Amino acid sequence: MICSYCEATTDGGHFCSACKRLQPVAQGTDYFAFLSLPKKLRLDEAALEKTFYALSRQFHPDYFMNASDAERLASMERSSLLNDAYRTLREPLQRTKYLLALEGYKEAEKKSPPADLLEEVFELNMQVEELKAAKKMGDADELLEARSALEEALAHLNDKLKELDERLFKFFDQWDSAIDNATIATQKKPLLDQMSELMSHRAYIGNLVRDIKEELY
Amino acid sequence: MPRIELSLTGRPKSGRVVGIDLGTTNSLVAFMGDDAPQVIRGANDDALVPSIVFYDQEKKRLLIGEEARQRLITEPRKAIYSVKRFMGKGSFDVQEDLTLVPFQIAEGSEQVIRFQMGDKVFTPPEISAFILRELKERASIFFGEEVTRAVITVPAYFNDAQRQATKDAGHLAGLEVLRIVNEPTAASLAYGIDKRNEGLVAVYDLGGGTFDISILKLKDGIFEVLATNGDTHLGGDDIDNRLIAFVLEAIEQQTGKRVEQDPAAFQAVRNAVIAAKHELSNAESATIKIQLDSGEAFTHEITRADFTQRIADIIERTMQPCKQALRDADLNTEQIDEVVLVGGSTRIPLVRQRVKELFKREPHTELNPDEVVALGAAIQADILAGGSRDLLLLDVTPLSLGIETMGGVVAKIINRNSTIPASMAEHFTTWVDNQTGIDIHVVQGERELVEDCRSLARFTLKGIAPQPAGLPRIEVRFMIDANGILTVSAKDLRTQQQQSIEVKPSYGLTDEQVEKMLLDSYQFAEEDIRKRQVIEARTEADIVKRAAEKALMERGQELLGEDEQATVRQAIQELEEAMRGDDHLLIRNKIKELDEASHHLAELIMDNAVSAALKNRDVADVAEQGK
Repeated sequence: MICSYCEATTDGGHFCSACKRLQPVAQGTDYFAFLSLPKKLRLDEAALEKTFYALSRQFHPDYFMNASDAERLASMERSSLLNDAYRTLREPLQRTKYLLALEGYKEAEKKSPPADLLEEVFELNMQVEELKAAKKMGDADELLEARSALEEALAHLNDKLKELDERLFKFFDQWDSAIDNATIATQKKPLLDQMSELMSHRAYIGNLVRDIKEELY
Repeated sequence: MPRIELSLTGRPKSGRVVGIDLGTTNSLVAFMGDDAPQVIRGANDDALVPSIVFYDQEKKRLLIGEEARQRLITEPRKAIYSVKRFMGKGSFDVQEDLTLVPFQIAEGSEQVIRFQMGDKVFTPPEISAFILRELKERASIFFGEEVTRAVITVPAYFNDAQRQATKDAGHLAGLEVLRIVNEPTAASLAYGIDKRNEGLVAVYDLGGGTFDISILKLKDGIFEVLATNGDTHLGGDDIDNRLIAFVLEAIEQQTGKRVEQDPAAFQAVRNAVIAAKHELSNAESATIKIQLDSGEAFTHEITRADFTQRIADIIERTMQPCKQALRDADLNTEQIDEVVLVGGSTRIPLVRQRVKELFKREPHTELNPDEVVALGAAIQADILAGGSRDLLLLDVTPLSLGIETMGGVVAKIINRNSTIPASMAEHFTTWVDNQTGIDIHVVQGERELVEDCRSLARFTLKGIAPQPAGLPRIEVRFMIDANGILTVSAKDLRTQQQQSIEVKPSYGLTDEQVEKMLLDSYQFAEEDIRKRQVIEARTEADIVKRAAEKALMERGQELLGEDEQATVRQAIQELEEAMRGDDHLLIRNKIKELDEASHHLAELIMDNAVSAALKNRDVADVAEQGK
């Protein structure tokens, strides 16, 4: 990499090793590389926060008010990339989505519920309608009944989400150890396929939960 | 050696950056002292400048602050207050507000409100600029140097248009606005500066016109905002309006007359209820006293219990945003370590009680709630000026940013509560062959449909080379900067060329309009008026003088007697002398005298020219003309 100010050869870090000026962001920099992290899914969130704060102190536009236009732009780009990276990677589900996208998987929400939830979702839709009707009629008893039925269903769906998350985290471990053991080349596709499938189920249920919450609260 | 730049007013330019709280009701300016931020007081030792602008039509003069407040009572039609509520809004947005204030709206207010003040029309950024100018002057007098750089605070829940309008106001006031800072975040800086606290802090900010709640995480000098929420249309004004409505009703019962049509009576009512509201923060009861035009007096005793009951639903409206912010931060109330109260309306006992109940702890009120935001802004100003690097504010964007997709549905590209600066790149292509432009509609808000969100701007990507549909690949980068203001850039991915973008803000002023206003605004700097008048008079004098000299030299000898020639020469000389001074009235006088002295000569030249013209023409021509 060549420094965009002094044309010295840099080590590709955030600052030029020679003139110490903040470098513009190279096109296509991914979040893991930007934060010098391996592409692993288990991540020490406290350490990530520390990195985020430390880099914020280096890049933030507050500290570049009197710098050249180019450095101010670099500060803005690097800060926003840092913020985007931190926001995405600190949260396991966002992290998974990001890795899948990086590997060329399109985010897709299942249009139909997972087989084991088919009946439940059907039932649920009816309960939502009942709640709406009860709200409209203003019938206190009906409303209470519809609410408690939905709350129960909501609790069950949340359990289901937890169960999916447990399964996802098992994939995390498999993915990370495949990287550690250098077997990632052969395991990559099946692992990503399974995670992608799981994530789309999760998205379906997640939307369901959101819709119910909207009705309830 | 330090470079000293001279400004128009002759004061050296200051390197200082001040912090300004541009409030709905009051505004103030502060700076970072040796070890603590400090509010800059005016001549009467007052920290607050009422955010009121009064236009004195006879004297062509603007009054700002306390002076304006006094005139507001007697001549309410020429004053604007609570202008912050109108920033970044179109007339459609503010129909309800307009029923509560005596302001007249001029034509063409759809995208930017235009207030009619006597024979003048001003937009909200201009009104705000007058207030900022006053604060700038206050700071410049204090330092003996021209202050030109500032940090200005806005409600955290302000949208893009409202932030941009505030920035425009700063620009119009001759200030370089280094940063737009969110009020609750600024307040947290003021509270956190000397306490090396770590933990989770909730800032509850209920001001004159807006409500904000921000949840922050403090750690190692970093103030990280986790979530923010609020209502830019909720504050002390609403409480006042509630009481005004009640009093108007009561007056009608007593006298059989509605008095709100009389602007002076309306202001008397408004002042009386505000005074009562303030009193009720300390006393158990207050008396609302109004002297009516009819000579009658209206008196009503209001108890705190009655007051509390009347405003309970208004205060209750602050609870939902608090809960939402906590949810967004993924926290519950028990996890919050400290609660801080900001804004004049948090003096109301009911507010304190409700906040205490919600967060289950006693809120902090050590710092003056009117001053704390300006003090925080001063700290941020110091950081930006290169002073302190101990503290760093990481703020968030309060509203999601999205673009319109097929069927009027919003595709979110940057979610609310994302740390700023934040950016997102989206790819666009063409729909039909040889399409050379792409329209993009950017909106702000949380709803699914475009019509339920706030239109922010329309962009046109232009100059796309004609190609089959779907072939061009344009990357548009949406960036929300550290001010919470959107900037957009576009790049053709095939050619790596930056693409030109034409931006039409949906609400607010274009850059050209701001520049024009900037020029227009000079007429209110008295110094500039005088200068301009002198320059204009001199320019005109020069034209008149040249014409007289030319006529005298070419035709004087031929057409005028010796005496008359001397009179004209004398008048020219006197004008020259006046032009060397800078009394524009004297110059105008001498122009008039020269006009009179050379009048006869001009007539003679004209007559000569007419007869010469006739002489040279055929009789037929003249006859033709006469038909």
